[in-house]
Amino acid sequence: MEALFQALLGGLVLGLIYIAIAVGLTIIFGTLRLVNFAHGAFYAIGAYVGLVIAQRIGVGWAFIAAPIAVALFAVFLDRFVLRSFYEKEPTSQLLVTFGIALVVEETLRLIFGATTQQYSMPLALQGSFALGPITYPAYRLLFAGGVILMLVLVWLFIEKTNYGLIVRAGIRDRTMVQLLGGNIRQASSIVFALGAAIAGLVGAAATPIYGIDPATGFAFLVPSFVVVVVGGLGSFWGAVLGGLLIGELQSLTNLAYAPASQVVIYLCMALVLLFRPQGLLGESEVIRQS
Amino acid sequence: MSASDATAPAPASAPVTQARLRVEAINTYYGDSHVLRDVSLHIGAGETVALLGRNGVGKTTTLKSIVGWQKPRTGSVTLDGEELVGSDMMTIARKGISLVPEERRIFTNLTVAENLKLAQVTARKPGWTLDHVYEKFPRLRERLTHKGDEISGGEKQMLAIARALLQDVKVLLLDEPTEGLAPLIVREVEKVIREIKAAGITTLLVEQNLYSALAVADRCYIIDQGEIKFEGTPDQVRTDEDLRRRYLHV
Amino acid sequence: MTVATTDATPAKRRRGGLLAADLRFALLCALGIALFPFLLHPLGGYSTLATQIAIVSVASIGFNLLLGYAGTLSYGHAMFYGGGGYVAAILILRTMPDHPNLWLAVLGATLATTVLAVLVGALTVRLYGIYFALLTLAFAQMIYFIVEQAKEWTNGDDGLQSLPNAILPLGAWNLDLTTHLPDFALGPFGNLSDLRIWYIFAGTCLLLVLMFARTLTRSQFGEVLGAIRENEQRSTLIGFNAAGYRLAAFAISGALTGFAGALRGLFDGSIPVDAVGIDRSGSFVIYTVVGGVQTLFGPVAGTAVIMFLENVLSAKTPAWRLIEGLIFVGVIVFLPRGLSTVFKQERDKNPRAVFVRSLRPSTEEPDPLLKSVEEGHRGGVMSIIETFKLGKFFGHFGAVRDVDFRVDPGELRAVIGPNGAGKTTFFNLLSGTIAPTAGTMNYKGRDVSRLSGTKRVHLGIAKAFQTASLYSDQTVRQNCRLAALARVQGPFRLQVLRRSTRLDDIDALAERALSRLDLSGVADVRAGDLSHGDKKRLDIAIALATQPQILLLDEPVAGMSKDEARKTEALIRKLSTEMTVLVIEHDMEMVMGLSDSITVLHQGTVLATGTPAEIQANPRVQEAYLGGHSEAELAH
Repeated sequence: MEALFQALLGGLVLGLIYIAIAVGLTIIFGTLRLVNFAHGAFYAIGAYVGLVIAQRIGVGWAFIAAPIAVALFAVFLDRFVLRSFYEKEPTSQLLVTFGIALVVEETLRLIFGATTQQYSMPLALQGSFALGPITYPAYRLLFAGGVILMLVLVWLFIEKTNYGLIVRAGIRDRTMVQLLGGNIRQASSIVFALGAAIAGLVGAAATPIYGIDPATGFAFLVPSFVVVVVGGLGSFWGAVLGGLLIGELQSLTNLAYAPASQVVIYLCMALVLLFRPQGLLGESEVIRQS
Repeated sequence: MSASDATAPAPASAPVTQARLRVEAINTYYGDSHVLRDVSLHIGAGETVALLGRNGVGKTTTLKSIVGWQKPRTGSVTLDGEELVGSDMMTIARKGISLVPEERRIFTNLTVAENLKLAQVTARKPGWTLDHVYEKFPRLRERLTHKGDEISGGEKQMLAIARALLQDVKVLLLDEPTEGLAPLIVREVEKVIREIKAAGITTLLVEQNLYSALAVADRCYIIDQGEIKFEGTPDQVRTDEDLRRRYLHV
Repeated sequence: MTVATTDATPAKRRRGGLLAADLRFALLCALGIALFPFLLHPLGGYSTLATQIAIVSVASIGFNLLLGYAGTLSYGHAMFYGGGGYVAAILILRTMPDHPNLWLAVLGATLATTVLAVLVGALTVRLYGIYFALLTLAFAQMIYFIVEQAKEWTNGDDGLQSLPNAILPLGAWNLDLTTHLPDFALGPFGNLSDLRIWYIFAGTCLLLVLMFARTLTRSQFGEVLGAIRENEQRSTLIGFNAAGYRLAAFAISGALTGFAGALRGLFDGSIPVDAVGIDRSGSFVIYTVVGGVQTLFGPVAGTAVIMFLENVLSAKTPAWRLIEGLIFVGVIVFLPRGLSTVFKQERDKNPRAVFVRSLRPSTEEPDPLLKSVEEGHRGGVMSIIETFKLGKFFGHFGAVRDVDFRVDPGELRAVIGPNGAGKTTFFNLLSGTIAPTAGTMNYKGRDVSRLSGTKRVHLGIAKAFQTASLYSDQTVRQNCRLAALARVQGPFRLQVLRRSTRLDDIDALAERALSRLDLSGVADVRAGDLSHGDKKRLDIAIALATQPQILLLDEPVAGMSKDEARKTEALIRKLSTEMTVLVIEHDMEMVMGLSDSITVLHQGTVLATGTPAEIQANPRVQEAYLGGHSEAELAH
């Protein structure tokens, strides 16, 4: 029973990381029509920046520096590298962003080495909470709460602000937004930086839990793609639902029969792609060939 | 924006020199397909001009050429003397040219209220107030919380026009506003167009529905196979059966 | 783009056997492969690397068959590479540990990966690009984690080690591939004894695979695969089974990659678990993109360069993978075809070879293949197309509703209608591009409502598009030949070794189509360079080359000048004497002047059918065009 509860919470924490990355992926796809295989790089850069700042200056500053650093990197990519790829077919986008992910991963490896690193939380946050039958590390609970808060803020931004309105309209019909005088180009760039910053912040925040090594970014990215596919490309709630589903599935399977825990999420992805390719909450676009 | 209950009669046909919008010899292509051939027309301030013709002859392409959606290869489009060709859609929209497209293109993932809000948010300068819009389009007020795909065809058309009017419109381009609507709704849309005209808004109306168009137009152009074939008054179109047979029906 | 470049000497090819060009190619490759390890030596390489490069190149060629020639990106090829390695290793360890037989191990591995490729392919080929890539990734990841966990079979993370030396039985001998070659010093190029027989074996495999790849890309199968990659929409509607071709390409690709994986494992004597890992899948992408997709040597060059850099640079600097990544990104951003762009330009100095065969007017018996619609013209009551209550709803919107339509053989029928009439949707229902939601359609008395567009082409229904859908990089003649090929071979033919044996028939069909549309003068021009009018006519010629009995033309003169339009009309009129022609048009002058009869659609239903005079006199038709008002009403 306790093990089950632990697994559920673990699945939630894991799922939230997936959601954070998937939300970024999915809104970037919605506005820019870009399949971003480099999104894991945002996570990794955020994590390492967070690591360095946390070790040198302080944990609090890490959470500020990480998303800013990643957002700047995203702006750089947007303006100088990816511009010409927004209109190209997804295969080219996948290839070039895969290349960028590789370059970033190797650069990080050169700078920081291949071993897993971590920073520890301030003592105040190192305890555990009693939650019903179990005790659970305080930081993880805080992390979960923090990510949920962040997602709520993102949701509020998209649903309640004027900017978010332009973004949502643009996801549906870029041309009409322009015909109404809206600057969809600018909105898309901001969304790109925002999606990246989210991944970077979560990267920094998750490092005390999972540690960071150069391959972690990609390791989290691939299951996040599963989440996006399962939830539906372009759907915010799809990413949330998909993330929870995949996180819990992975965690619970790990409890029941550990060897299958990774296989099962890819099985899930395969099933969705075969029977409901638009995802659970996605739009039924034409993705079949005649 | 002039008061909504202005009842000034439609101005007489404005001479070319005072034209607000001028399209001069534009040639537009889809790939290699030469769709518009030396198309020229002009609209004076406050005029309502109709562009008539069968489907597939270049009416929508003309509108797209004006707003920068389909850039003409040669020719010029000027608004109050300022050249528009070469600018992108957003820039041209911000200069005051507002297109209500044929498919309406309501944002189906947003509510009616949000569709209206978006138009206000992206506007350079405000046009009509929201209250004014509700006054002229009472049905929209009843549907504010409905999603874009939950309203009827007529309501979508009203919403699309309302969106345009919430911005400061110098020239309004309406692409087949009565298409696909039931006769009763067509009457309502015609009424709205008359009100727009009464408010003095310069309008280019593309229509295949001859009756609707002739009822509001000050002047008419007829286009066929990408070329302007006729320019004249609605009465001329009404009385010339041969003209109609050649270019408007079969 | 020269996948379908025709040969300068077709006659010789038909006799089968090797041409001078093929021999030259083989010798060049053999020479290159033979010299390679020695050239590598002064650069710091060594013969183990040379053998590994040769083996992995085979896998890259296999991968490129899918990416470059079928135009499909797979992100999971490690499942074949590593899978092949594991199967070979397991076969040896479990069934023949004392007498490891290379043939059997490799054969078993290749078979297993082919089966895997067919299974995975059957599920994935109907999905679009990015989803296909993700699905292959998903399957590969599943296999990775299964392999990692099935420790009893695969030793999990440690991989399978210390495989016994594989022996190659050759007749009476048993060849131990690990034997060194005899001692023979070559100065700066090392010593012959650095090499083992393994290299000769691997090199021979590479040579054979190169020959096979070359043959395949020039074969009938390769020609069609290239056509599908270039324009799938057009290929489907001239009658090629796109999904089938893609599946076959996937299977062949998987087989080659699995074969290479098995060889690699046996050569190294071990299989690491990352042979099925995501990085390995990624490496094939890197090798082929850097080397050049759509070329034969590209994958080999890319594999050699990258693997060499990896091995040599890794000793010198820890930044070697970064350099690899930067090269990869650089190549994608600046040179989309990879390093072999350079080679490609050299080759293209030869003008594209052309079939120089004119058809003299024949006084012999008409070729049975060319007999036209005599069947249809036999009169009688059978219509050629008849629809009953045909409907197509998109959600609640009825684009086409309750359409009862009938056209008789030999008619030239125009389909017109005001906005929202549903004309294009109707045509798409007739051609099979979309399926009806209600009603049925009969073709020559037979219900074809559920039949795919590809199959309908083979029955005789051909369509020309509103926006010409062409193979832009190929000549006008080649465009028609592809359509004729589809007609002659059927929807799918796994002919990987040679061109079609019925080239004469294909030529004849193509030439005939060209001349009917007055395109013989531009037959050797690249289709993308044609004028608009010629492109539209080419689209019709392509449809014509499938030998249809009914031709559907969607706005054939749209965007043409007056003169071109009149000329095209005249050509269409002539065509209609031999087959049924259905035309959607907005040019009323043309419609009234050309058609035998006219169907008017309005808001998805048939409003009227009749001769031009009848339609012009029909007040309901006029009303529809005037927006639902009668002429009388206009008087106020």
